[in-house]
Amino acid sequence: MSTPDRGDPMFAILTDTTRCTGCETCVHACQRTYNLPPDRAWRWKQKIDDLSSSRFTTIIRRPGSKFVRQQCRHCLQPACASACIVGALRKTELGPVIYDEKRCMGCRYCMMACPYGIPRYSWEAKVPLVRKCILCYDRLKAGGQPACTEACPYGATIFGRRDALLAEARRRFAAEPGKYFTPPGRSGPEIYGEHEVGGTCVLYISDIDLSFLGWRPNLGDEPLPALTWAALSKVPPVIFGVAAAMSGVYWIIGRRMKLQAEAAQRAAGGPGATGH
Amino acid sequence: MQPTVGRTNLERVKTLLWACIGVWTVVTVARFGHGIGATSGLTDVAPWGFWIAFDVMAGVALAAGGFVIAAAVYIFGLERYHGFARPAILTALLGYIAVAVGLLYDLGIPWHIWHPMVFPQHHSVLFEVAMCVMLYLTVLSLEFSPAILEHPLFHRPVFQRLLQFIKRITIPLVIAGIVLSTLHQSSLGSLFLIQPFRVHPLWYSPILYVLFFVSAVGLGLMMVTLEALLSAWLFGHRVRTDLLAGLGRVAAFVLPLYVVIRMGDLWRRGILPEALDGSWQAGLFLLELLLSAVIPAVLLFIPRVRHSVPGLATAATLVVFGMIGYRFNICIVAFDRPENMPYWPTWTELAVSVGIVAGAVLVFIFFNENLRIVDEHGPAEPVPASRPAAPTPEGPGFYTPALRRHSLAFVIAAALAVGFLPEDALFGPRPRPTPVRLARSLEALATPAPPPLRRSFHVSSLAGNVPRAAEPVATRVLVVDGNRDWRFVPFTHDDHIAALGDQESCRLCHHQNMTFDQHSACYECHRDMYEVTDTFDHALHIRKLSDSRGCTVCHSPEIDRRSRDTALACYECHGDMVVRGSIIPTVERKLVGRAPGYMEAMHGLCIRCHADLARRAPERYAEFDRCDVCHREFQDTDHRRMAPYVPMPPGHVSADAMRSQPSAPAAVPVPRPAATTRPEGRP
Repeated sequence: MSTPDRGDPMFAILTDTTRCTGCETCVHACQRTYNLPPDRAWRWKQKIDDLSSSRFTTIIRRPGSKFVRQQCRHCLQPACASACIVGALRKTELGPVIYDEKRCMGCRYCMMACPYGIPRYSWEAKVPLVRKCILCYDRLKAGGQPACTEACPYGATIFGRRDALLAEARRRFAAEPGKYFTPPGRSGPEIYGEHEVGGTCVLYISDIDLSFLGWRPNLGDEPLPALTWAALSKVPPVIFGVAAAMSGVYWIIGRRMKLQAEAAQRAAGGPGATGH
Repeated sequence: MQPTVGRTNLERVKTLLWACIGVWTVVTVARFGHGIGATSGLTDVAPWGFWIAFDVMAGVALAAGGFVIAAAVYIFGLERYHGFARPAILTALLGYIAVAVGLLYDLGIPWHIWHPMVFPQHHSVLFEVAMCVMLYLTVLSLEFSPAILEHPLFHRPVFQRLLQFIKRITIPLVIAGIVLSTLHQSSLGSLFLIQPFRVHPLWYSPILYVLFFVSAVGLGLMMVTLEALLSAWLFGHRVRTDLLAGLGRVAAFVLPLYVVIRMGDLWRRGILPEALDGSWQAGLFLLELLLSAVIPAVLLFIPRVRHSVPGLATAATLVVFGMIGYRFNICIVAFDRPENMPYWPTWTELAVSVGIVAGAVLVFIFFNENLRIVDEHGPAEPVPASRPAAPTPEGPGFYTPALRRHSLAFVIAAALAVGFLPEDALFGPRPRPTPVRLARSLEALATPAPPPLRRSFHVSSLAGNVPRAAEPVATRVLVVDGNRDWRFVPFTHDDHIAALGDQESCRLCHHQNMTFDQHSACYECHRDMYEVTDTFDHALHIRKLSDSRGCTVCHSPEIDRRSRDTALACYECHGDMVVRGSIIPTVERKLVGRAPGYMEAMHGLCIRCHADLARRAPERYAEFDRCDVCHREFQDTDHRRMAPYVPMPPGHVSADAMRSQPSAPAAVPVPRPAATTRPEGRP
């Protein structure tokens, strides 16, 4: 693995679900790397093998012996990072969306914002933290690859530059036409994550429909932070507009009341009478 | 001296509030002692719950009366509402303090609450809300400070100069308050803009900020009304229906405006039909809109109704609860989460919110009793009949009957709260038990598969899915899925017996220590899927060893701290627990009655052997330690018994067809008609 270069496109992961046997070697590699606690049947878990504070990645079992690896997508324009009030979640130039627990205040807005429902919380801890895959940022910086892709015995999940992986996915589509799932109304198979919510660094190709991976079957191509920015960009004009309007109203009404008081005074005829 | 103290509405309410504070105190200790997970119903799919919806969303909206009345009085010059200004500003101040306190409970790391100031992230709506709330809290404190500085306690020149200064900057303060309120009242709506996939379309709107702002103005007016009515009831004031009717008339225009904007937005985006499609969300939407805006607007539009106390009270209550409902619906009810993971707040969550409100109301009452709040201008109100007597030297002193009653309410409520605390809140969060059940024995068909799997298994009753060409062989498997989550290991018990040495082999894998049992089933001791089961009966051992040697049989007298780990290992008395040559790792684990989780026990038993084989005889057992050698799906899609509904692929023979053809090449025994289960087959 070459050392990362700033000029290059981001690093990414390509998961080919047709090659996955659900052996969970990637899960255990991840758990070992981050020294994660054993999976326990906490109240907030529906299934022991769901993503959790003890599992940054997991295998989703689908009918017909299909296995789909679940993990943070490392969106190109991550909703979680845009939602984070203190910048504890951050998109790095190499691709990973990383987490700084020293900044986090535990508001959990990132968990609300994620279109894939990825970030988990260590609810069991007295000082809980947001837990999610960070694409082994430290290993990437050191020129290595994530623990999961390194561990996969079947090459079902591979690591590389995003553009190279997109090309590899298209190569597989071309090599075995008909093997991969074609979404209804499309001409050919598609790479899940190429365009979703502005594109992600974790890409999937599959022989089954992967739309269950998002909160809605079709997440659209628009990055979510733009939705917020549409409102946030109106803040400065609102500040000046409201302040100016209120000052204006105060001045006008104050003046009108003063004039009325003077008129009333004149009507009363007492030039010696004082206003206030 | 009031002989009737304790019989008035105010005293009853205060006693009740102190009881709420008692419960709140207990829950607070649990919340900060054992964490959010132990005291709330929050989950990863419901990261925001009651605390955010009520304490923050509704709390901020309810405090909107402050800026609305301040604008009316100071900016629009509606002097006759001056009497409402102080109570409204006080309510707003207490409301925002309550929001901040509520946040401390909800934040995972509350001592980082100041972080937004030093690590600003201006792309976050939450950042804007936090900044505005913080600044507005400062503005509110300054706006309210004259009420405190007027108190005789502060009759010093320095305080009076401060008071004069604050009075001089009243107008800039009010304008700043209006700007900040406009921003964050609307931004609370913008918080949900980033969740177009989770907020139900009837509630999601690109102009959520407009809706939140307009609804907050309407709510602010009605909250001031409700508060005036309530404090009149509590303190025995006269109700100024003439003034309240004026507020009602404004609300009668604001509320319809809110309805028009909301419906207009739905119509513009073509979602209006969804409001009438009969789903529960549509019903909820209509109900919410009716209660929060339509009915109150109609009521307030009728002059006779808005000039009457019951009419005002009804309208104000409807708006207050309806608008709280609006916040709840966006934040919790109409917020998408998996159907199998509903969110229900725990009573401890509710107790925190109720306690915060109770605290705020008590402070409100305290200020009303000790500062000039209600009667700032105009004729002095009569002294409330309920005002508690100041302690006098000859009176009961500090320990007034009221104080005794409040303390009693506090203590009883706190004691009850401790009694009713959920186990998690009392002892810290603990995993839920996952009981293990008996492995099932199942007729299966095995077909050859490439190594290292060697065989694939098919459920016999669904044998129709097995092509005859695959040469299926009938076999019996134990379906090992202790917690019945359908992730099983089809375990060929018979084959393992044969491979490990027939009837002599039981002891290799089974413990031998249960009475009259040579091959105890695993689930009998490893009773939880993931957690350790305690199988040691201490009381029984004390009974059996109740002679003079008693404790020292197991606990060496030289050891001071008697514990399980310093005691004798079980097998040192029960020699038969350890079997020579057994695969069970008993001796190295010191076997002191802690049975590891079922999953760990199974992995420990199987993986060692498999890994050993893969290492010693790679030519036959290559990759035999791979997970999927044991963890397999049955080879049909049917393990959930869906098969009857799945069309058979071409080239496959149905089970019935196999049964009716005795000359089938592979002698497949006719399986039983259904996937039968029977207790674990013991050889």
